[in-house]
Amino acid sequence: MVAPALILVILVTLWPVAQSFYNSLFDYRLTDPSRSERFTQSNIDLERYATEYFYISRDLEDLSAQAPDDETAQAVNDIQTEIEAFHSELIEMDGLEEQYGEVDEMIASFTAISDRDLKYAEVDNDWAEGYKDFLAASNEELIALSEGAPEEDFSTTAGNVAGTLDTINSAVIESNFIGLSNYSRYLQDARMWQSLLNTFIFTIASVAVELVLGLAIAILINRVFIGRGVVRASVLIPWAIPTAVAAMMWGFLYDGQTGIVAHYFEQFGLINDASVLLSTANGGMFSVIFADVWKTTPYMALLLLAGLQTIPGSLYEAAEVDGAGKWQQFWKVTLPLLKSAILVALLFRTLDAFRVFDLIYVLTGGGPANSTESISIYAYITLFSQQNFGAGSVLSVIVFLCVALISTLFIKFIGSDLFEGRSR
Amino acid sequence: MNKRAGIGFYIFLVVFVFFVMFPFIWVFLTSIKPQGEIFNNFNWFTANPTLDSYVNAVERRPLFRYMLNSFVVSTLTTIIAIGFASIAAYALTRLPIKFKGLILGIILAASMFPQIAIISPIYNFVSDMGLRNSYMGLVIPYITISLPLSIWILATFFKKIPWELEESAKLDGATPFQTFRKIIFPLAAPGVFTTGILVFIAAWNEYLFALTINTADKWRTVPVGISFYQSQFTIPWGDISAATVIVTIPIVILVLIFQRRIVAGLTSGSVKE
Repeated sequence: MVAPALILVILVTLWPVAQSFYNSLFDYRLTDPSRSERFTQSNIDLERYATEYFYISRDLEDLSAQAPDDETAQAVNDIQTEIEAFHSELIEMDGLEEQYGEVDEMIASFTAISDRDLKYAEVDNDWAEGYKDFLAASNEELIALSEGAPEEDFSTTAGNVAGTLDTINSAVIESNFIGLSNYSRYLQDARMWQSLLNTFIFTIASVAVELVLGLAIAILINRVFIGRGVVRASVLIPWAIPTAVAAMMWGFLYDGQTGIVAHYFEQFGLINDASVLLSTANGGMFSVIFADVWKTTPYMALLLLAGLQTIPGSLYEAAEVDGAGKWQQFWKVTLPLLKSAILVALLFRTLDAFRVFDLIYVLTGGGPANSTESISIYAYITLFSQQNFGAGSVLSVIVFLCVALISTLFIKFIGSDLFEGRSR
Repeated sequence: MNKRAGIGFYIFLVVFVFFVMFPFIWVFLTSIKPQGEIFNNFNWFTANPTLDSYVNAVERRPLFRYMLNSFVVSTLTTIIAIGFASIAAYALTRLPIKFKGLILGIILAASMFPQIAIISPIYNFVSDMGLRNSYMGLVIPYITISLPLSIWILATFFKKIPWELEESAKLDGATPFQTFRKIIFPLAAPGVFTTGILVFIAAWNEYLFALTINTADKWRTVPVGISFYQSQFTIPWGDISAATVIVTIPIVILVLIFQRRIVAGLTSGSVKE
């Protein structure tokens, strides 16, 4: 009975992570047609190849006929012979004759090929490399001939044929598997380290403040009083509203011209100008952390309050009888008994803070000058603004590894407590 | 610790609640100011309250459409996630299954997955299925967030149901599925409902997937829609304040009605009884 849910969980989380890792090993970009797929092997785009190959022989014959002298004609003929030789080598490869025939037929009937397995065929790596080198060299040769020739007709045709060779060249796709070189690139990337540092600063600062404030609030309101409902509701609302909406609100409150918070901070002398909050690096980081503290401290207090309520009052009475002061009671009774609740709350909050995206993205956009850019934002920009899925996946994998590392550390501290009460 | 609450305590409470609620108060006060008074003016109250910003907020942007989108996506997500999760959580807490610790570990790990680590394959998948700019295009990725979360919370609730009931059902010849449907589910319904609220809120608030997958304005959800109120050149704070108030009202209502359940759900996952 667990199977359906477990399979779903694995399908929607573990499988994509594996995919992200796989993607990160390729030079994989959605904007570049020759890199928009992941090939571990050299490939040929048969649709393009067949279309161009259909014309190239006749074009080369025409060109050879127009050649001003025998030497040029011979050079053109040589190119043609070579191309035909490469073609027959291609056709001899496993199963390619049939596939080529099928593609050729579809092109002849003007049918677009949407089936990827038909369109692309794996080819021998050496063949692909040799062919691409030859095509590039011939392209240069023809361009040289075209520029050197006095006859206009020949010159134009030579130029066109050179263009066709170039298209054939792009139909032969060498593997874009680049192994770990994306990783070595990002390990030397200053922006990556900066965003990682920003993420750590944000996580540590906000979680630390939230813990201290949350604990203080929890202890203060852990008593019987009138109006619990109002307090509970007012604490839950910041937690319940979408982070993006909260970020918009704080964007308004921090605004250098209209922002009330910026205005009061300036009035009270906390900052020397109202615009500091969103236009300087430190101000930006402070703003982001402050907004996060506002949104999640109540939640933290709530978790810790629930933990506090499980501590029996008799323990405090006993401590009092033994002459322990309030402060001693806090250190000797409250903290040890609250330890596991604190650690679990810390684990959830740390992981949540580490993957921060929407708060910063909406509030500062990672600015000013990338000073508040978190690693998730950098990954998002690389993936979707630059459409560079290979490089962006490296950043995704880095986020994933950090999260895995943080949780391992926490689980070591918490031990098996976490699973107690859930599994028998 | 049943300390008595003194007057100082109530003063502290009022200050605390005021600070927590301040952004909402200010945004609400801004939303009823006339356009001209929003800028270069830090007065709390306006002498000429107006609803212009509200009219603009819903006329310049399809705010109600965003809310409908969010509502449909969150509801579908909640139903699907709870359906799968309640069965799984029941099995995990009740049936003799091997590797329970490992399975729970995987589920907990999955609930803490950074979304950015899985977004590009999910994006490719949703694009290949032709589901971009549709409700299902968001519901599928939202399962990644909501399913582990709901299994985790539901497992705690199911734990609290006494074993004896089940054993007597077994003695009366009920199959595990019958036991689940006739005994466990009615008893667990409050927990299931609580989990449902939490999943609904989580789906309602999600930003990253909604931003990348549903890029057409018509299909945006509330969080993404709100964040697009600001254009390159101007930031219409009046409209944004009004829109914020409008989208916050349903959440305030939800919280006011279900606050006890929400707190129970939030704390059940992290505090041992």
